[in-house]
Amino acid sequence: MIWAKEETLPRSEIEAIQLAKLKDTARYIYDRVKPYRDKMDAAGVKPEDIRTLEDLRRMPFTYKADFKDHYPDGLFAVDKKEIVRYHASSGTTGKPTVVGYTRNDLDMWLNNVARIACMGGASADDVAQISFGYGTFTGALGLHGGLEKIGASVIPMSSGNTNKQIMFLKDMGVTLLVATPSYALHLGEEIRNRGIDPTKDLKIHIGLFGGEGMTEPMRDEMHRAWGDQFVCTQNYGMSELCGPGVAGECTQLCGMHINEDWFIPEIIDPETEEVLPPGELGELVVTCLGKEALPLVRYRTGDLTRLMYESCKCGRTTCRMENLSGRADDMLVIRGVNVFPTQIEEVLLKIDEIGPHYEILVERKNRLDVMTITVELIDDRLLDSYAKLSELEGRIKSALKSQLGLATQIRLVAPNSLKRFEGKAKRVTDLRKDGL
Amino acid sequence: MIRQISVFVENQPGSMMKVTTVLTEAHINIRAISTFDTPEFGIMRLVVDEPARAKESLTQNGFVTRVSDVMGVELKDEKGNLNEMLKILADGQINVNYIYSFVIRAGKAPVMVFHTDDFEKAEQVLTDADVKLVEEEEL
Repeated sequence: MIWAKEETLPRSEIEAIQLAKLKDTARYIYDRVKPYRDKMDAAGVKPEDIRTLEDLRRMPFTYKADFKDHYPDGLFAVDKKEIVRYHASSGTTGKPTVVGYTRNDLDMWLNNVARIACMGGASADDVAQISFGYGTFTGALGLHGGLEKIGASVIPMSSGNTNKQIMFLKDMGVTLLVATPSYALHLGEEIRNRGIDPTKDLKIHIGLFGGEGMTEPMRDEMHRAWGDQFVCTQNYGMSELCGPGVAGECTQLCGMHINEDWFIPEIIDPETEEVLPPGELGELVVTCLGKEALPLVRYRTGDLTRLMYESCKCGRTTCRMENLSGRADDMLVIRGVNVFPTQIEEVLLKIDEIGPHYEILVERKNRLDVMTITVELIDDRLLDSYAKLSELEGRIKSALKSQLGLATQIRLVAPNSLKRFEGKAKRVTDLRKDGL
Repeated sequence: MIRQISVFVENQPGSMMKVTTVLTEAHINIRAISTFDTPEFGIMRLVVDEPARAKESLTQNGFVTRVSDVMGVELKDEKGNLNEMLKILADGQINVNYIYSFVIRAGKAPVMVFHTDDFEKAEQVLTDADVKLVEEEEL
């Protein structure tokens, strides 16, 4: 099922909608958001200069750092009383990236998620288990609301507690699973380990995955774990843009359809910031159209991908983005949570007993991401007892947990045992291959 | 009181050997040694003839090293003597955090060293029970 007629319009009509909304957006941000007005003035562009879609290139970029500089709500365009929901995601340092929604924004968002759920084959007949962590992240409540919109029955399970996950899958006749692909693989294997055959003992047939990329080898593994009946699609979004609902794969599995009447995608060379022609690999830049609370123009997502404009067998005419090919920056995705090494560094530098050098190792064990941070012990007072050393280890872990929202492993080593760098430090080693 | 040195070591092949190598090269004599089984890292504790110089050499070689006090007790090499000493401490409500013994001392009685949070009280109960405490100079 195709949820909205806007997904199937001829290109000229899609572009007409985009241009009309872009003009409004340029005027809206110039009038209401001072940081945008300042940037546009500095770039010498006025709202009335936006006459064609090409003119978008004259608009300044928006960066994740802008959220930090105007924390918490300096980029908002409406008064607090208009806001009906806040969410937050990782920032590059201690402060999160806070986003907000008016009632219209929520409606737009959840309709876009409904489109994505339909792309992945969901319908009113489905019983959906949401195994994303709830809380301030947009993933869980986004899919939750979108699936409710199409009339599916939603189970707000949240992440973790494998036994309970499996009990609900079985007892409630769950047909649709929402999770990160790595957690879904882990869950699938745990189910097999308990002697349950998903193809016979469960009704599951749809997986809607997000929070991290799903590679083709992961999709193959997913079929081995859950069975061939399991239709696995992934979708794309980020909280700054609205959350999930920006783009999603249809069951043709040939890229993620972008909801172009709400988002204009561009691909740029991250170094030169030049716009690249369709089909070229580069950084995805997204302009949101018609958002009230938090309009966003030319947002640098940091994600590397390609755009494809050929129409799809599914009947949708919207542009598709290829599976992500990595990041333009050093952001890591750990269990679906975005992590910036700078966040980790900020925590470590506040702990006096350890030195300023660190290394981050990311592996996938038993399908789940494990992040180990190695730090150098410098304070000899801790050698009075083993308890003091473990207390330090525990203190580092809990400081990181509250900063990142993730459990980490800590390895303490002797001073000077970590590599020193003269130029740009290479502190992160990511051993995950193809997401497996 | 006896000064011991504590060295941070990772649980890896060769990590203790690196400590003893530094001490050997500095001509420092090791009298007692202890470590216990920990998953990733541990504390290697040693009694040496020159603790200050040992710390200096180890620190120069990049080891996190600490000098701290432990109590030494001389025991007769007879059955039940360790039990007797521990009973004295237990009766005095002294908690022993860790204990280890000296490597064989030619012609001399064995020595146990232990750590507690209340050295003063430990000294008192042991002295009251006529147990011989060993000072650093006597080693």
